[in-house]
Amino acid sequence: MYKSIVLGVVLGSGLISSVSAQDYPMKNIDLVVPFAPGGSVDVTSRLIAEAANQYLGDVKVVVSNRAGGGGIVGQNFVANANPDGYTVLAMTSSVVTNPQLKGAPYSIEDFIPVAAYNLDPEVIAVPASSPFDTIEDFVAAAEEDPLNMAVAGIGTSHHMSGLALTSSVGIEFNYMPAQGFGEQLQAVVGGHADGAFWPMGEAMVHAQAGTVRILAVASDARDANFPDVPTFEESGLGIPVWATFRGWAVPRGTSEESVTFLSELLKQVYEDEKYQQKMTDAGFDATYRDATSFQSLITSYTDQVVPIIEDNGLAR
Amino acid sequence: MDQIVLGFTELLQPSVLMMLAIGVFAGLIVGSIPGMNENIAFAVFIPFSFSLPAEQALALMVGIYCAAAAGGAIPAIMIRVPGTASALLTTVNGNAMARKGQAGQALSIAMTSSVLGGLLSALVLLVFAPVLATIALRFGYVENAALTILGLSSVVGLLSGNVLKGILSAALGLLISTIGFSQVTGYPRYTFGSVNLIEGIPFVPILVGLFGVAAVFDLLQDQIKGRRDNNESEKLPEIGSMHLGRSLICRLVPTWLTSATIGNLIGMLPGAGMLMAIYIAYDQAGRRFRKKFEGRAGEPKWDDGAPEGIAAPEAANNAVTASSMVPLLSLGIPGNSTSALFIGAMALHGLVPGPLLFTQHADIAWMIMVAFLACNILMGPVAYIVIRTVSRLVFSIPKNVMVGLILLLCLLGAYSDGNNLFNVWVALGAGVVAYLMKVSNIPLGPAILGLVLGSQMEASIANSLSISRGSWFVFIDPVNHPISVAMLLLAAVMWIAPILRGLRHLRASYFSAGTSN
Repeated sequence: MYKSIVLGVVLGSGLISSVSAQDYPMKNIDLVVPFAPGGSVDVTSRLIAEAANQYLGDVKVVVSNRAGGGGIVGQNFVANANPDGYTVLAMTSSVVTNPQLKGAPYSIEDFIPVAAYNLDPEVIAVPASSPFDTIEDFVAAAEEDPLNMAVAGIGTSHHMSGLALTSSVGIEFNYMPAQGFGEQLQAVVGGHADGAFWPMGEAMVHAQAGTVRILAVASDARDANFPDVPTFEESGLGIPVWATFRGWAVPRGTSEESVTFLSELLKQVYEDEKYQQKMTDAGFDATYRDATSFQSLITSYTDQVVPIIEDNGLAR
Repeated sequence: MDQIVLGFTELLQPSVLMMLAIGVFAGLIVGSIPGMNENIAFAVFIPFSFSLPAEQALALMVGIYCAAAAGGAIPAIMIRVPGTASALLTTVNGNAMARKGQAGQALSIAMTSSVLGGLLSALVLLVFAPVLATIALRFGYVENAALTILGLSSVVGLLSGNVLKGILSAALGLLISTIGFSQVTGYPRYTFGSVNLIEGIPFVPILVGLFGVAAVFDLLQDQIKGRRDNNESEKLPEIGSMHLGRSLICRLVPTWLTSATIGNLIGMLPGAGMLMAIYIAYDQAGRRFRKKFEGRAGEPKWDDGAPEGIAAPEAANNAVTASSMVPLLSLGIPGNSTSALFIGAMALHGLVPGPLLFTQHADIAWMIMVAFLACNILMGPVAYIVIRTVSRLVFSIPKNVMVGLILLLCLLGAYSDGNNLFNVWVALGAGVVAYLMKVSNIPLGPAILGLVLGSQMEASIANSLSISRGSWFVFIDPVNHPISVAMLLLAAVMWIAPILRGLRHLRASYFSAGTSN
């Protein structure tokens, strides 16, 4: 008797879950990009949507831009959205730091990570005309006198990567904030700054063009495009990885089925060769980390930045 | 030369050329709608650009970019509402001419100036891009700081009358630019806990408010006044003849050349942009006009229909278009926010601007450069057709209907920059503030320049002082920063010249008073 009830429940729930899996997605999925069209998150999101829509049949992933407040307006919109699986955030690492740094009204726990599609390790770049040929030259000079380093702004991940170096090996920097990457590039290529803390994604083409030189990369392995550039760890900088990430997240409360479905969808996209080529051409390294692995990425990033924010008094 | 030919063969494919023409047409329309501008047009277009081949998408964008800067002059002249921020100064003399029954002439001057400014800038891009890019690189933190000071100083010459009010206005603009998360200190300022203000007041909405919404209030006031006085509502000016006489053309040549040069120089410097170019060009043209023409028989006053007052800003703003691509194409550094959108559009097609573009995708790189030349050639006839057909139709709408329509379009434009309702409030608020300033005779120009240049000024001064370890002499160091010294001297001249003129005026009136006694 009991056995048959248990069996019934199990079968029933299995049936329900399989039905609900087929039920989703029934309509278009909104991929919220919290920035204006044309930026890196927008471009990558559109490449993903294009690839994803080949596998979705009748419904589509639709990119919708909700800019404002440096991304917080759109991020907050998703945090408060109906957790039905039809609102997805194009999530960046700034979601981790925005509550603490900028007083964003959400918390990182308001989101469930779906999957990561791009990791962007930090690099130390110098002008092509720089006297520093190697990371050792750079560190030696920084020990003498703080170097002037271009960064995207005080309190950005890039500024904090410099602060992390101060904590780990004691070298200090003079930070030269400039909002746009163009202005930073002008300062570095023109030799007005000694170097820059940049994401690899931005620095790569300019290093390949020979206008800047990358001295070290903060990832666990060397970059295939720059086999001669050592990692931070190899250079004795004491930071194994420092990378910003891009991925998908959904509001807390979204069903596990939806999360799994979206995660699998991103995996399919990742395995698409045409998509990989397009990402490479646009200057991004396509990767895939499933929900669990993305969660641990977020956790380790949080563990890395929170002490830096607190030690340097950056919190609001 | 081979490469230029390569560019042309790419461009001369019928489908690409067609896109360029569509872009020019669309740009003129978008530019002539108050509240819409090329940034908003790009934001709408970029998602669709996916489905087009790269060369077609980029040709269309080049067309929109160039033509929008020209189209802004049409409503500026016809109804005193600038279509884009870059036509802000064209309203003054343009509308004055139109009210005198010379609307066609004014439009013709505006379009000719735009085409010439654009052509000169396209030639500069095509021939001198690599050389100019190295000049752009000489601009570091110190030079950028001096450049912003020069830009702000350019309004001094425009302050007729109360200098104090002008300074007040500039201070207001600078103060508003400090709102938001400071990139220098990393702390929020005047955000009052609002998420929407973290990045500062959104830029496109505030501009739309300051020049679009405020102009609507102005029109409304005219309407109400007209009704109260029981007058027939003033008709919109007829377009009339668009023929430009030979003597007028000859007379405008120096203004065109100076303004195009100013536009070219400012366009290639990252961060400065169109607004700074039109102010400096307008100031230059005003000085020349006062010296050579004002007071002569048959000559209008400056600000009251001087052809130079249309030619200068229109030549300058179109000269910015192609030259802002100089640092973008040769170095990957965008010259302004619009050319930055080209990066996104190119990335969608797997292209990254910078030196590598010329080795990996030389056809596209050179196609973009010759497209600037071609689209300016196309712009003349297309503008003529648009003015004769679309504009004539639009300006036959009754004025009161037009007022409501423009307000709606402005608010729509503000909203569509990020799809955020907060932007609508910003545009309305900015419109009210600008209207109140006008009523109290406070000039708007200094506030807008302060707003545009504020954060760049703050960051570049802070970074310069950081490099010099706190020494202010870095700005006047003739050995390491000669460009900065030169620009600061020029800025000083802009301040001193009106003072000297005032003193001379005072002395003359003192002496004449003395003799009469």
